[in-house]
Amino acid sequence: MHIPDGLLDPVTIIVLWIVAVFILVIAFWRLNKLFQEEESEKLIPYIGVLAATIFAFQFVNYPVPGGTSGHLVGGTLVGVILGPWAAVIVLFMVLVVQSLFGDGGITALGANTFNMGVIGGIGGFYIVKAILWIFNKTEIKKEIKVPIATAIGSYIAIVLAAFICGIEIGIGGIIPMEIAVAAMVFWHLLIGIGEAIISGLIVWFVYKTKPELIITEKMLGVA
Amino acid sequence: MVDWERYKWPIISIIVIIGVLMLMIAIGFTLGILSEDPDGLERALIDIRSEEWLEGLGSAWEPILGWIDNDYIAGIIGILLTIALIIAVFSLISHISKKMKSKNE
Repeated sequence: MHIPDGLLDPVTIIVLWIVAVFILVIAFWRLNKLFQEEESEKLIPYIGVLAATIFAFQFVNYPVPGGTSGHLVGGTLVGVILGPWAAVIVLFMVLVVQSLFGDGGITALGANTFNMGVIGGIGGFYIVKAILWIFNKTEIKKEIKVPIATAIGSYIAIVLAAFICGIEIGIGGIIPMEIAVAAMVFWHLLIGIGEAIISGLIVWFVYKTKPELIITEKMLGVA
Repeated sequence: MVDWERYKWPIISIIVIIGVLMLMIAIGFTLGILSEDPDGLERALIDIRSEEWLEGLGSAWEPILGWIDNDYIAGIIGILLTIALIIAVFSLISHISKKMKSKNE
């Protein structure tokens, strides 16, 4: 999913950088609310730990049938634990570090932030919220329904991000759009299964061990 | 004076994450649980073009840390850099919001 340098056309690069920076600025101000609470500073080291977990998991590629591999993207996962705005900032920072290693281009950082942070983080969060709206009409415990909704939301968000990524590559003209979109969606329909399982399991584990870390329960409507 | 007791669990967590990542890389590749196959985007590009084309894709920027080809060192440096950046950014947001709050009061 990490777009390298040299694949996107300059207009796409500039537009997606502007969109990404705009959303990052909004995220910065939206987080002010969270940090105006006295005890919020305690959260910062845990946010760092979560970012490190995402970085570590993005390093680990699991095999996918057909000669490809997948790894956790984690946008929806961070969105569910810390909220959609924190997810954008966390994913941006992870992508900055990865681009220094050559995993994802530096010029394509705006596009990668848009795909993984905005679609994965913000989009994924609201997909999870919509799924929970349905689950809330049942008697399922929140410790079960939030991980399941996270898994489904992660899957949908990753396929959606792959679809958008295909369009971005297609606009560049190096690869015809219909081929780029079809190939990206096809492979991520398989890879998304891993994303869903890992994200769901991590949220389930957090609920088991340190449920207070999930600070979005009110926003998700499960508090 | 830094209150180490307050940060005990995050520090332990970070050490555990680094340890688990190292183990995952070592055991995963030895047993073949992990894969060095191209990821989804790379696979799609190789299918449409070729592996040589993907490798020759021009970059205006040379990755700053791209010369580190050891997975273990890259993993540790990446984790530490990510934590430093995230803590710096979120501490800055927290600092600014506290300042704004005290100004409003």
